[in-house]
Amino acid sequence: MQIDVKAIFESFVSGLTYLPKTLILILVPLSIGLVVGTSIALVRIYKVPVLSQFFAVFIPVYQGVPIVVALMVYNLIYLMKTNDVLKFFGSSKTIADIDSIYVGLFALSLMMICSISEVMRGALLSINKGQYEASYSVGMTKPQTLRKIILPQVISIAIPALINTTVGLIKSTSIVYAIGIAEILSGALVPSSRKYTFFEGYLAAAIIYWILTILIELLYSYLEKRTSIFKTGKTENKKLWSLKCWRSNTSEKALAEMKS
Amino acid sequence: MLEIKHIRKSFGRNEVLKDVSLNVKKGEVVVILGPSGSGKTTLLRCLNFLEKADSGEITIGNKNVVIQNAGRKDILDLRRKTGFVFQNYNLFANKTALENIMEGLVTARKVPKKDARNIAEETLKWVGLHDKADYYPSQLSGGQQQRVGIARAVALNPEVILFDEPTSALDPELVGEILELIKKVATKGITMIVVTHEMTFAQDVADKVIFMDGGVVVEEGAPKEIFYRPKEERTKQFLAKFIIPDNMYYI
Repeated sequence: MQIDVKAIFESFVSGLTYLPKTLILILVPLSIGLVVGTSIALVRIYKVPVLSQFFAVFIPVYQGVPIVVALMVYNLIYLMKTNDVLKFFGSSKTIADIDSIYVGLFALSLMMICSISEVMRGALLSINKGQYEASYSVGMTKPQTLRKIILPQVISIAIPALINTTVGLIKSTSIVYAIGIAEILSGALVPSSRKYTFFEGYLAAAIIYWILTILIELLYSYLEKRTSIFKTGKTENKKLWSLKCWRSNTSEKALAEMKS
Repeated sequence: MLEIKHIRKSFGRNEVLKDVSLNVKKGEVVVILGPSGSGKTTLLRCLNFLEKADSGEITIGNKNVVIQNAGRKDILDLRRKTGFVFQNYNLFANKTALENIMEGLVTARKVPKKDARNIAEETLKWVGLHDKADYYPSQLSGGQQQRVGIARAVALNPEVILFDEPTSALDPELVGEILELIKKVATKGITMIVVTHEMTFAQDVADKVIFMDGGVVVEEGAPKEIFYRPKEERTKQFLAKFIIPDNMYYI
């Protein structure tokens, strides 16, 4: 099989022109997921009646549905019902006036809400009860405690899992291709369908997604360092410390070997 | 100054506090002794609503709260009249030593940041940790963390400071310095209630000793009386496990 490097480049450029759309598909669900997901986690931690029971059932059930299936279902509903709904509200618009990207955003947002709420709940549960008590004991209210003491700690704990969720989201954005939303993958395949260079097209898309993922991971690792200063003292210390540990380990091993 | 009446508290079917009443005068140092599970810590935690008692009445200063009708505002008011020192320090992990002390002043008491910083620095100096102001709790030893914990409570200038076994989690060699510090707090004239297992400390500092067992106050009185002339059989049994020669503290 011959790989056409020029076709890869062509597909790469063509895919990149759809980068803004993919970024929307990443950033909107991520922000909605962070805000709503964290709220749901709090609702469940504080055991708010009715709501917490509802989410305790809803989230595991919803997470059992593959994102493609959910997307298809929403798309069918969108295709069949949009005109009726618009008519009901007395609008003169039709389905043609409404971008199907909203269907994609809806499906991805719901997915992110569910997974981020679980990430945040785990992080919240890992905070020592003493942190709340200490805060109450100096006279702080519940919202103050959350804002000043708990959430800053939760974020630094949650970041590794959030990287995972976000990388999952980046890759999931490609499936909205299935309902005809133009994003990086479909963009990269535009030249392919003309010249039959599908292999190169998919390869180009893979490269773009890979770069995106790397960038996001770099951003997060910077954030992780920034938010976890309190665990290590200074950010730079972390590396030194691990190096020191490694050294002392090896020297201990060497000592043990010498003795034996 | 501090009065509690008929406090009751159960965890499930286990009744931990059975009608406990207590009276503490201003500036008094009260030490609560008793075996594990006697309800000492629960009593202390009920005082500032870290644990909500089932019934009873709490008065601190001019604030009177009947537990059944305690609203959010009452609880907050009561908490702002008390300081609490925890067994395992519970410093805010995401705040430096200085910020730990400032947080309650700035956020809860609405003290201007600049004044709060001054108060915090002064208190930190007072507990002998001025050079550790910018250290995070993870960088401090247990003894140092407890010093900051005490500074955090003292800086708020509360009407009463509650100590919940402040030395139980410490290395034996650090216990002494923390007890010295608590004595120093006592000399400031702050009302204190201390739950502890340090008998010599109790003898040394307490104005009043309370012996609890099985969720009731068995006996209360001056330390000399409780330690040398206990009236109740249960107190005698408990104290018999600790040999307390008169001069032990000075060894």
